[in-house]
Amino acid sequence: MSPSEQHPPVFERIATGVPGLDPILGGGLMASGVYIVVGEPGAGKTLFANQLCYSQARQGTRCLYVTLLAESHSRMLSNLRGMAFFDASQLPQRIYYVSGFRMLEEQGLPGLLELLRREMRNHGAGILVLDGLVQAQEAAGSSRDFKKFIHELQVSAGLSRFTALLLTSSVGPTVHPEYTMVDGILELRERTAAMRSWRELQVRKFRGSASLGGSHHFRISEAGVEVFPRLESMVSRAQPPDWGAQRVRFGVPTLDAMIPEGIAAASTTLVMGPPGCGKTLLGASHLAEGLRLGEPGLMVSFYEGPERLLHKAASVGLSLGGAVKDGRLVLQWNMPAECNLDMVVHAMMEDVRKRGVKRLFVDGLSAMVETTHEPARISPFFAALTQELRRHGVTTVFTLETPRLFGPDMDVPLGTGLSGVAENLLFMRHLELNGRLRRLLSIFKLRDADYDPTLREFLITSQGIEVQPPFQPSPELLLTGIARFPGNHS
Amino acid sequence: MVPATETVLVVDDEQGILEALADLLREEGYRVLTASHGREALERLAEVKPDLVLTDWMMPVLDGPALIERLQQDPALRGIPVLGMSAVDVSGLRRQHPGMEFLQKPFDIRALMKLVRRALDATPSVQGG
Repeated sequence: MSPSEQHPPVFERIATGVPGLDPILGGGLMASGVYIVVGEPGAGKTLFANQLCYSQARQGTRCLYVTLLAESHSRMLSNLRGMAFFDASQLPQRIYYVSGFRMLEEQGLPGLLELLRREMRNHGAGILVLDGLVQAQEAAGSSRDFKKFIHELQVSAGLSRFTALLLTSSVGPTVHPEYTMVDGILELRERTAAMRSWRELQVRKFRGSASLGGSHHFRISEAGVEVFPRLESMVSRAQPPDWGAQRVRFGVPTLDAMIPEGIAAASTTLVMGPPGCGKTLLGASHLAEGLRLGEPGLMVSFYEGPERLLHKAASVGLSLGGAVKDGRLVLQWNMPAECNLDMVVHAMMEDVRKRGVKRLFVDGLSAMVETTHEPARISPFFAALTQELRRHGVTTVFTLETPRLFGPDMDVPLGTGLSGVAENLLFMRHLELNGRLRRLLSIFKLRDADYDPTLREFLITSQGIEVQPPFQPSPELLLTGIARFPGNHS
Repeated sequence: MVPATETVLVVDDEQGILEALADLLREEGYRVLTASHGREALERLAEVKPDLVLTDWMMPVLDGPALIERLQQDPALRGIPVLGMSAVDVSGLRRQHPGMEFLQKPFDIRALMKLVRRALDATPSVQGG
């Protein structure tokens, strides 16, 4: 084979064992690379590095974990014992903890480097973690000495084929100029706004392949570190499949009659209206109709718990309990105060993929939106989400609460971003007429379908939902929410 | 109070733990030598023969098992009682080394002192350094 025919080298990847991280890195860390993990104390660096070690150890790779004035090994292991990934049987054969502090104190960086090389060789290790790089940096006589140390470590990693993670607390700038010579820099940080805090991971540098830019949320639980790649960065730019002429109905015959062809399959419908106008039941009907046709359903809710929702649906003749029991319908309920947009959507999309969900109902879009601290992110996020749902052929109903119960103004609480993303818009409202509260529904917009735009009364009875013939009083008056019969303008 | 002639060699790569253990044993009246890994321990042993070796398991340069092996190979050092200690689950180490006592880190100081005392009392003095 001539040199020109040789294939470019394909670098082996090291799976991190951290859910969600490898897709961000384009498949994992590069074998024989040297990576810096930077973050404040408590950011999760040690946990992250250990998680990687236990994951690699399970695959037979030996790991050497060298600490420099970090917490004691027994304290570290005590903290790890509660983690799902912890496996005592890997110790000390496959994961070996030593301290390099004394060597660093007595012999400086050359002594530490020698210790690392020798121990990696003695243990036949493929992964090196150096926890406390900041100590090495402080022990270095000069910036040049520190760079030399990192360079020599890189050379050793290349020759001895090990992958190194250097953990360091961020002192001063997050990324020192000395760090730029490594193969990658991962930053872990905790951010706080008002009373809430959240964790973010950012790939500041990654040599050898593209990585997903921006910040990605992560959490620390008994499962260890779990990263939730930002949806906008994950969504394919490719055109979603064309679902052609497939059509979907709400399962409310009188409402479906207003859309003779049905709504487009894999489209997104936004149902807006004030509390109590029937949005949730319309969404429940959407799911029930899908179940009747054998389509797996998913409901994501924020306010009402699963039991209450099932009871509410049952009260109008929509029996969903059986489908929940046999797994055709899944209810994902989230506490609105503590949920996180990326995590909610991650769980949602995972279920969509796993069960081939065809109908999705998200009850309480505003709760979902309120979980983010970046309002500018909402429109691109939902554009990405709807595209992803379309790609999976999921027909989705979102409900969005409008704050005003009555009145002439029609509020779209989240600006035009969301209503612009939704292909179909249904508007519901209350109307007080002749001393009786009525619910009204109108279709504002539908993609690729003719529809009846008249204003209809929406009845909820124990028999189900029903849409009445066009409402008689003047529609322009009705739009104010304060109806008067024609001729009575006083 | 113990006789001041009883010497304990403490071997641990974690500097903080090494110093803390040395202080505690000195307070109890022992004469204490320290080493931060097995090879350093062998250097100490070439100078002074302690009454007990208290050694960590995972260490750089020369680890706990390698140190014990060297002690057993050397007729002059073979009789020195050894106590192992480790942050890893010591039940596995006990199975691998049935004749040895191990302390699970983090340990209770009183348990450590009791075990040190028991090991010393069970063995005739090996003074001579």
